[in-house]
Amino acid sequence: MTSLATTHPATRPRLRPAVRNATAVAAGTLLLAAAPLYLAPYATTTLTRILVFGLLAASLNLLVGVVGLPSLGHAAFFGVGAYAAAFSALHGTSGVPALLLGMAAAALVALVAGAVAVRAGGVFFLMLTLAVGELTQQAADSWESVTGGSNGLYGVPAPTLSGLVLDQPATTYWYVLAFFLAGLLALRLAATSATGVVLRGIRDSEDRMRALGYRTTLVKLGAFVFAGAVAGLAGGLLAAQQRLVTPADAGFETSALALLAVVIGGTGSWWGPCLGAALVIVVRDSLGATLDGHGPLALGLLFVLVVYLLPTGIARIRLRRTAP
Amino acid sequence: MPTAQIALTAMVNGLAIGLLLFITAAGLSLIFGMMDVLNLAHGALFLTGAYLAWWIGGEQQTWPSLGRAVVAVVVFGAAAGGLLSLLTAPLSRRSHLEQALLTLGIALVAADVLSALFGDDVRATEPPAGLAGTVTVAGWSYPSYRLALVGVAALLAAAVYWTVERTSLGALFRATVGDRDMVAAVGVDPRLVRGGVFVLGSVLATLAGLLGAPIYHARPGLDTTILVLALVVVVVGGLGSIRGPLIAALLFGQVESVGRAVLPGLASFLLFGTLAAVLVVRPRGLFTLAPGGRR
Amino acid sequence: MTGINRRTFLGITAGLGVAGLTGCGSSLGATAASGGDSNTVKVGLVIPQAGVYTPLGVDIQRGWDLWLRQHDGRLGGRRVTTVVADEGEGPQTGVPAVQKLLQNDRVDVLVGIVSSATALGVRDLVTSARRLLVIANAGAGAITGANRSPYIWRTSFTNAQVAAAMGRHLAARGVRRVYAIAPDYVAGTEAIKGFSDAYRAGGGTIVGQSQPPFGKTQDYQPFLSRIQSSGAQGTFCFFGGAESVAFVKQYAQFGLSRTIPLYASGFLVEGGVLTAQGAAADGVLSTLHYTSELDNPANTAFGQAFRAAYDAAPTVYAVQAWDAAEVLSRAVAQAGAVDGDSLAGALGSVGVITDSPRGPWSFVEQSPRQNFYLRRVQTRAGAPVNGVVEDLGPLDPRA
Repeated sequence: MTSLATTHPATRPRLRPAVRNATAVAAGTLLLAAAPLYLAPYATTTLTRILVFGLLAASLNLLVGVVGLPSLGHAAFFGVGAYAAAFSALHGTSGVPALLLGMAAAALVALVAGAVAVRAGGVFFLMLTLAVGELTQQAADSWESVTGGSNGLYGVPAPTLSGLVLDQPATTYWYVLAFFLAGLLALRLAATSATGVVLRGIRDSEDRMRALGYRTTLVKLGAFVFAGAVAGLAGGLLAAQQRLVTPADAGFETSALALLAVVIGGTGSWWGPCLGAALVIVVRDSLGATLDGHGPLALGLLFVLVVYLLPTGIARIRLRRTAP
Repeated sequence: MPTAQIALTAMVNGLAIGLLLFITAAGLSLIFGMMDVLNLAHGALFLTGAYLAWWIGGEQQTWPSLGRAVVAVVVFGAAAGGLLSLLTAPLSRRSHLEQALLTLGIALVAADVLSALFGDDVRATEPPAGLAGTVTVAGWSYPSYRLALVGVAALLAAAVYWTVERTSLGALFRATVGDRDMVAAVGVDPRLVRGGVFVLGSVLATLAGLLGAPIYHARPGLDTTILVLALVVVVVGGLGSIRGPLIAALLFGQVESVGRAVLPGLASFLLFGTLAAVLVVRPRGLFTLAPGGRR
Repeated sequence: MTGINRRTFLGITAGLGVAGLTGCGSSLGATAASGGDSNTVKVGLVIPQAGVYTPLGVDIQRGWDLWLRQHDGRLGGRRVTTVVADEGEGPQTGVPAVQKLLQNDRVDVLVGIVSSATALGVRDLVTSARRLLVIANAGAGAITGANRSPYIWRTSFTNAQVAAAMGRHLAARGVRRVYAIAPDYVAGTEAIKGFSDAYRAGGGTIVGQSQPPFGKTQDYQPFLSRIQSSGAQGTFCFFGGAESVAFVKQYAQFGLSRTIPLYASGFLVEGGVLTAQGAAADGVLSTLHYTSELDNPANTAFGQAFRAAYDAAPTVYAVQAWDAAEVLSRAVAQAGAVDGDSLAGALGSVGVITDSPRGPWSFVEQSPRQNFYLRRVQTRAGAPVNGVVEDLGPLDPRA
């Protein structure tokens, strides 16, 4: 789990990798885009939730996998984005402007929190980010005039696109999917850019990067803010999908589940955490509701099994015979 | 009620809560500081101790039942510590993050088992005769049990401090942290030392649960509440010493007691606000050994 | 990162397979109800089965099951299938559970919901599905007030209503100065406001109020000291679950119960928490729309059946579910259909329920107008109960 670069098999002469990848991306996107045509409404709704949570996990993966900063409070920015977008939608501005507002608010909070947090290392970073998450959740609980307190912001209007109200499972899904893909693309671009290389350098040896003249703290802060902004976008999508935002969306449990998704999926790829998110959501929401109250048990077993059985995540499980 | 009495009540109360918090956090700090395992199942151990107190003593504890309960929580704590040591051993070379997820999973499973065994109702237990009720001195009333708790917890805290900082057993624990191979070279199996630290830490947690049962009452969800408090104390205190968590626990006892009385409007923000404030000023906690040491 | 390859394909396909628990179909067009024949009705029971509210969920399920068992498993002549889903502790689990019942199990009617945030959060889901939801607990005023939906009715209470009953009573009794305390969340705020409005209207003075952090307060000593120095003649409080145990015990331990009587919204001393509070709860006065000690024929029969079935005293939560079944049955019989519009229309004309264990009640603005009782904690046959002190008469939900 030391590198984001997936090694490629040398034995695949039929297609050049770039062409093959482009084809796979296109086909995968098409499969996802067509999902509501062949899935029942409940499956579509579940898939929508998975996309939202998957984007949150992917943004966290930028911190965990690329920069090596495991955050226990990443849901804070998810929550801030969701609250900002929901607040905006409730006051007459929904759709893309609400999403942008959510991103901006999340980025701003991430800037303040990150300025403190990225200076700390190891377990102190874990705890500072935990504090950020708890304080954000507490603020959501207490600031009733804006956040609705413990009842949250409910009755959030569905987003509209040129007069069309997107309130059906399928339309909501396509709306979320579009921004999910955009967010994932942005994350990927950031990680493969020149800055991304620096970030990985920091993960592997911060001292060396500093010796090379990089202002590592500033670079880490930038990554923290960017990941926070994408988490804010995911939050805005949550507001559009669930049409309800409550303090728990910013809390520790959401953060921990996002981390679990990253670990399940493996930090080595971008689709891994999304698959991890799928597993987490299905276990918590679809399976959990039917277990006569043993949902937490199922989640707990998932945590334990993943750590023992998937030390490098789903993304590294070999699905083909030839060795890479 | 005169202001002086209010202040006195708040401070004594902060001391009682703080000492109880130290016993809880000391176990977590030992396991983390020495074995480098972030044990998020620590709160579940505390809760099990509290449930055992109720299960053995019922709603009204007697002195004999309290004695049996002490034995039970020590035995259970030791067994659970040994098990945790075995479960986390395969992860010793992996990241804190994965250890945290594993122990969080164990905590979730434990919570489900506890709820199946003891139900979902609040299980309150009253301390034995002589400790229940209220002490009144010159018009100042205070629950007897909390006063006794100050004494018992202070003794226990002193014992922990002395064991870790002053005895050869403590020296062995500390040596294992510094250099595993060296300890092995002098003929001590590091796995035994590891197990020993887990047992000690877990017994402290279950004992704290027993002591805290009459105040906190065993119930679903208490495990998380206690875990979060203990984590905050450990981190603010800093790693690698037992003095750090002690000072931090006493500080947070006062924050939760005097702080809430003085600033009721900010009560919800005090705990994590203080944590953030301390880490902004001292990013490695109050008493972490000099920079360049372990993280 | 070199992007998506064949493994991705398999991964995404697997992910979709997992997501598609319900199998395939199409998400275009409206979701239909179960489409069962006219002799059946499918009910989704949404109750907490995990987390701190589980005891309430257990009682709600008991009330529901008992009613069905005594009525041949039929609501308004139709055979009932009940699908239970776990609400958990809040909307993060509660909203998906409702979504699953509506879209996957395609239930005709929803019953239950303990958390107000969940009840408010599912409003749009229920409304756009045009299915009836009968709330069996959640007490936020907005559920049937500002955030009203024609499809959401409730058989429980409003937070303000329960507290107002106490406010009105204390003012009438000449208790002049009271300190109010409730947790810092919406229900606590509504309780304090409901109490204060009614109490001040009767001429009382609130000498101070506190809202300790919700779910994060184990030690009430800082707040108890404030109450002691406030010069109050009594304390009004609203707490539930574990907090009610901690508060009542500490109120006695710090010596307040001897000098400043405790008055409460009835949830403080209702159900399992009363046993846990032990002697500390003795003499606590509270208002609620039910107590197991009510002396009326319906409650006597209900209490006997409940004790026989579950070996426990009935609680207000069980009665709320019992009454949910009762009004649903009447609505189904009258409407002859189970779609949300027909049922909502029928509930509107259901009139006064005269044979409920809680006494007579009727829907006003989709929430009960009901009698409140002043209750005192006392020991009967070795067990603590809430004895009836006085019938305080009816109150509207918007008290």
